[in-house]
Amino acid sequence: MKEIRRKRRTWLAVGLLVLPFALFFLSLNVGSYPIPLRDVGKSFLSLIVPSLRSEVPPAVRDIVLHIRLPRLLLALAAGSSLAVSGAALQALFKNPLVNEYILGLSSGSAFGAALSLVFLGRAFPPQAGAFIFGVAAVLAVLFIAGRLEASLVSLLLTGVIVSAFFSALLMLVEFLASPYALQSLFYWLMGNLALAGWRDLALSLPIMAVGLLLLFLLRWRLNVLSMSEEEARALGVDVRREKWLVILAATLITAAATSVAGIIGWLGLIVPHLVRMAVGADNRAVIPLSAALGASFLLAADAAARSLTSIEIPIGIFTSLIGIPVFLALLKKSKKVWL
Amino acid sequence: MNIRVDKLIFNNRNFTLSVERLEFESGRLAAIVGPNGAGKTTLLKCLAAIHPLSRNTVFFGRQDLAGLRLAERARLISYVPQEHSPIFSYTVRDFVLTGRAAHLPLFSLPSARDEAAAQEALEFVGLEPFADRPYSQLSSGERRLVLIARALAQKSQVLFLDEPTTFLDPKHEWQVLEFVSKLAGQKGLTVLITLHNMDMAVKYSDSLVFLKEGKVIAAGRPDDILTESLLQDVYDLPMKIVACDGRKLIVR
Repeated sequence: MKEIRRKRRTWLAVGLLVLPFALFFLSLNVGSYPIPLRDVGKSFLSLIVPSLRSEVPPAVRDIVLHIRLPRLLLALAAGSSLAVSGAALQALFKNPLVNEYILGLSSGSAFGAALSLVFLGRAFPPQAGAFIFGVAAVLAVLFIAGRLEASLVSLLLTGVIVSAFFSALLMLVEFLASPYALQSLFYWLMGNLALAGWRDLALSLPIMAVGLLLLFLLRWRLNVLSMSEEEARALGVDVRREKWLVILAATLITAAATSVAGIIGWLGLIVPHLVRMAVGADNRAVIPLSAALGASFLLAADAAARSLTSIEIPIGIFTSLIGIPVFLALLKKSKKVWL
Repeated sequence: MNIRVDKLIFNNRNFTLSVERLEFESGRLAAIVGPNGAGKTTLLKCLAAIHPLSRNTVFFGRQDLAGLRLAERARLISYVPQEHSPIFSYTVRDFVLTGRAAHLPLFSLPSARDEAAAQEALEFVGLEPFADRPYSQLSSGERRLVLIARALAQKSQVLFLDEPTTFLDPKHEWQVLEFVSKLAGQKGLTVLITLHNMDMAVKYSDSLVFLKEGKVIAAGRPDDILTESLLQDVYDLPMKIVACDGRKLIVR
């Protein structure tokens, strides 16, 4: 019985890890202009074998390599980042409700993006504004709550208050904005992968890659850090130093993901829970599987958003509309404790 | 490992713990006793350097505890906290494995050797069959044993236990204390526990430390120091010492 359960878990884990890559390649041929997998393959190969260039129409090649590839890479990286930062922070703060957005990142990013879209025009990319203010908001929350020594309640409370402050600033900017700037701001706020090009990814992808790698390497350490601070210290862990490392990595990847993809809610909260329900609390499994499930989730939502309707529904709306019912259904179905 | 305390003073708001001089012998079990708020847990946490510590106050062998890094301390001392319920439900095995943190560099996973240490610790406390069960579903007594197993996986030379028997029924209390005294006797660990049950403290410990209002009232072998007037002083309650089956029992 125990053996069967363990085997089932292993297969589940393997399946979850393969899923994003399968979805990635399938998604390359889905969209308003379906492209057969054969042409997708040829477009890729033509990068290495120039003689294949003549076999695919240039338009197809452009769609695959310059529109869909960056977009799907972004979905992959952003989905992993949001889910992994959620999982890491939940372990670190010993609270299953925490994610970066609750620490003020989303409202900070929204304000930053709005500021640059409305006042700075094209000279200053909204991604940079979103990134800077997203990180600033989290740092402000941590600083005000008392440099990490604070109790969780005061941290969350500070998060809520700082979020409210940035929301007010956002409304002020919106109030002053032209209708044209407002439209692109709303589009960004709803979460959107469609705007991603290689130029946007040049900076954000490496940041996400480095942060994800850091948290991946720290995955067992998170088990120790999820004990009480006193306990972790008695186990020989320099909690203060390692806490900063985790928070820094989690904040950077979430800010990088949010700045390019917009605000994609709930992913960072829900995905780690689904993973814990399936495989238990050990972060050695939770971190990589959260990355895989988060990426799959965003890829699938993106594919659905692109193919189900003729107008693209922004992905932030889509993830919330699909994710929350799925989560609630699983929550109701699974009677066992997974936390 | 010999532990020596020299002019230890710890202030925390309106409480002061002040220990002039205290020694704990290697391979022995010492019990810290005294009324609530006497500073038992504080003393334990000072000795474990969980509370900040000034230099030249606590020595392990010839090493000054304050001069050691956290991981070095953790390889020297294991600290078993009072019962707690973690938020996340790790399996017993994963929980015990966290005891290996001091032996592992920051960016690494436990190796087969660490797994073996955890396994050995689980076998020692007899909880091997529970290894794949969630820690949060264990009973109070089983949790104490898992906490002790984690401390053993740490492979330190000194073991501190903060009230390891509160909330336990007599059988589990007995079981935990048997383990703890076996650790001092067989494994040669220096063991320090805080206890409320005086009978158990007298039965199991090689030496007793009486604390009251942050000060050491008496310290030494139970046979040498235990008197009715001492108990009356410490607890402000008349108590009698009765001999029964060659043991000393304390009766109120």
